[in-house]
Amino acid sequence: MEILAQLIVSGIALGMIYALIAFGYQLTFATSGTLNFGQGEALMLGALVGLTLVGHMSYWLMIPLVLVFGALQGIFVERVGVQPAIKTKSEFGWIMTTISLAIIFKNVAENIWGHDDITFPSPLPTEPLQFMGIRVLPMEILVVVGALAIMLAVELFNRKSIYGKAVVATSNDRDAAGLMGINTGMVITFSYALSSMTAAFAGVLVAPLTLTGATMGVVLGLKAFAVAIIGGLNSGMGVIVGGLILGIAETTTGYYVSTGYKDVPGLLLLLLVLAIKPAGMFGKSVIKKV
Amino acid sequence: MSAVKNISIVLAIAAAAALPTLWPNPYYIHLMVVIGIYAILLLGLDIVVGYVGEVSLGHAALFGIGSYTAGVLHFQLAVPFLLAVPASILVTGLFGAILALPALRVNGPYLAMVTLAFGTIIQILINEMTFLTNGPLGLSVRKPVWFGHQVTGTDYYYIVLVALVLALFVVQRILKSHLGRAFEALHDSPIASDCMGVSVYAYKVYAFVLSAGMAGLAGSLFTYSEEYISPNTYNFELTILFLLAVIMGGRKTRTGPILGAIIVVMLPNVLSDIDLFRKISIGIAVITVMYSAYAVTARIRSIRQLVLPLIVTISLAVSGFFINDISEHRLTIFGVMILFVVYYLPNGIMGFVRGIVVRFRPQWIHRHVQILEHGDKQHVWAVPDHPVTSNGFLLEARNIVMQFGGLKALNDVNLQIKKGSVHGLIGPNGSGKSTTMNVLTGIYNPTAGEIEFNGKIITGTTPSSIAGEGIARTFQNVQLFGEMTAIENVLVGLHHTFRHSLIDVVFQTPRCRKEKNSAEVRAASLLQFVGLADLANEEARNLPYGKQRLLEIARALALNPSLLLLDEPAAGLTAPDIKELISMIEKIRSHGITVILIEHHMDVVMSICDTVTVLDFGQKIAEGTPAAVQSDEKVIEAYLGGSAKAA
Repeated sequence: MEILAQLIVSGIALGMIYALIAFGYQLTFATSGTLNFGQGEALMLGALVGLTLVGHMSYWLMIPLVLVFGALQGIFVERVGVQPAIKTKSEFGWIMTTISLAIIFKNVAENIWGHDDITFPSPLPTEPLQFMGIRVLPMEILVVVGALAIMLAVELFNRKSIYGKAVVATSNDRDAAGLMGINTGMVITFSYALSSMTAAFAGVLVAPLTLTGATMGVVLGLKAFAVAIIGGLNSGMGVIVGGLILGIAETTTGYYVSTGYKDVPGLLLLLLVLAIKPAGMFGKSVIKKV
Repeated sequence: MSAVKNISIVLAIAAAAALPTLWPNPYYIHLMVVIGIYAILLLGLDIVVGYVGEVSLGHAALFGIGSYTAGVLHFQLAVPFLLAVPASILVTGLFGAILALPALRVNGPYLAMVTLAFGTIIQILINEMTFLTNGPLGLSVRKPVWFGHQVTGTDYYYIVLVALVLALFVVQRILKSHLGRAFEALHDSPIASDCMGVSVYAYKVYAFVLSAGMAGLAGSLFTYSEEYISPNTYNFELTILFLLAVIMGGRKTRTGPILGAIIVVMLPNVLSDIDLFRKISIGIAVITVMYSAYAVTARIRSIRQLVLPLIVTISLAVSGFFINDISEHRLTIFGVMILFVVYYLPNGIMGFVRGIVVRFRPQWIHRHVQILEHGDKQHVWAVPDHPVTSNGFLLEARNIVMQFGGLKALNDVNLQIKKGSVHGLIGPNGSGKSTTMNVLTGIYNPTAGEIEFNGKIITGTTPSSIAGEGIARTFQNVQLFGEMTAIENVLVGLHHTFRHSLIDVVFQTPRCRKEKNSAEVRAASLLQFVGLADLANEEARNLPYGKQRLLEIARALALNPSLLLLDEPAAGLTAPDIKELISMIEKIRSHGITVILIEHHMDVVMSICDTVTVLDFGQKIAEGTPAAVQSDEKVIEAYLGGSAKAA
């Protein structure tokens, strides 16, 4: 029983990271119907840039700089990869361009930071805390709190500020929002900036828990896909629940079956959800008007 | 022209067959074998990417499944080559179905996301299931021994060549058949395709499974070619290479995948040779600079459009002199190539070549097969697939509610359509007429209520199965298959008359030819009926608006419907055309087809409708004969506002 509780606690921290990346997918999918297949690479770049900066300053000072870097990276991806494809209404186009940008980023990162994984110095004590026999790393608590905080901040921004209203309007109906004088192109660019920013933030949150390296983003980005589909691409609640389910499924499979198989339940769950409720567990199915 | 084409195909095959004798270098023969194997996979991938328009990021994994099926069968059970290859095709096709059935239920990037995850999982499984696959150590396989003769590398080249020619032949036949037409139709206009009984979902899955089968064939051939397989071959990089090959070679062509295969197999060789890389990158940069200079002076493109490719190509050429080991930067180069192809060569190299040929010799390129069949009067009509059994009402909609969020577009609407009648549906804009149409054809699933058609409850089923039951429709916003010719549009409507299977298509059995022929006669007759006989081989998007509406009627009639839904057929027609339309609708009725007509031209409605239903704000406000409805106070109020008495 204690082991199971321990596995669930570790699964929660992992799941929140997935949720945060999946949240980034949702941000851009809502405004533009596209998403960044290189979200994992945005995370990886955030972590590696953070690693370099941490050599010169404290972890807490580094975070805002990484957020700025993430936003710029998102703008770059949107301008180079997504915007032309949206103009030509080519789904194939944006999928291929975001993938190719992703492999370019990964390759460049390999050439700058090397092929080997590097440990990221932890800003918090690495001594686990004990709660009723369950060990929790302080960093794991930071991951959960940080992830929830940034999601909450974005939600508040969307609901309360006038710029957020523009984002919501664009998500509801891009054409109508455009006719009302909202610069929807700008809103989409902004959503990409926000999306990559959350990914970069996720990167510096997860880095002290795992190793940092050019390939760290691939699997994380992939898991977040599963989370986004399981929870629903248009449900904020869905990604958190989806993330937790996947995170816990992984830690338990890793322990009870074999660590080699820990990535398998994700796909099975993914196929199952698509087969039963394609819009995701919490997603609303959209009625396409003719 | 087709003679020239046939001769060139024979010459190409002969040249490929002669290559090993002219150039007996085992290394190059092996490269050509790999090219042939990749080309088979790419032909299949093109069905998904080019024809159906979905992105698969799982083809490397499917290739791996094919490889490992053959490998495991050989290694564990010593199954012979000729059995292992078909088994690989079947197993990989099965995996394709497991993937496609859930992933294609929703539109959007889901297939790409699911296949990407699938790719990772398959690699993990191959690594972990050591008892079957020997894990990371890989499997060793020997080429088959036939009649006491050990098949050599050169022999194997001929085996792959035969497989490639067969694959080309089969794919060509499939894509030229009604199946290929269905693939193109669903990509062109999914809604219209569903409403013509061609289920978008079913045919997307069909295409994906076919494509997976071909990946399985390629995979099994690869196993025997390499004689050693290990999990790391089938990685994400290979998937990227496959996609690059398909789009670079040219989608929707047979030559494109072969060209693409040559490029991606040769690419690593180019990248391993720094001198060659420098020469090629400088060459590309020079060509880009020259083209840009030409394009800017000739005002084809603006400088802004050309800045990015110029920067990229020049920096590629310059970087060649600073890098010693290009293979380190291999992925960056692949990425840049994909970006380049997506933006500047969207139709691939073959598409680019075709574009040039069309400019100088337009008669050399046939975008469509010309169908020169002449229609006649007796072939216009056919009995419905499902004979009308119910007497009295053909269709009954009971208490239909259709809610979009807080808006009730239809509120408790009852509708009874008498068999053999023309039933008018009128009302001001936004009253729910088109919504009714969409509910009846299954595009919207009503929030409440049920619809009974011909004795069956059809609510909750799919648009394509409703079309199969015998409800055909036209669209208010024309939904033709724009890139197909008029007659091809009608042939999509006739899809349900093609009962023959894939096997018939591949072997062009008499049954297949007979069905094809009678469908073509029928299609031509239908075009003649709506007065478009002269425009049969014209692309639908080039027809004037009024003619497009008529073509939609012909296409709908091809479904052999017992109920025809016409959504504003008179919009965009001139006065004489409208007269023609009225007589057309009367002829349709006289052949026993019940019609529901949405129309704003009151003269049309009043002259041909037996019953008219009036909707306003989602509710039925009047129903009766045209004359009775015309003098109904509620109707006058809805149309003119205020009460009739006050005026």
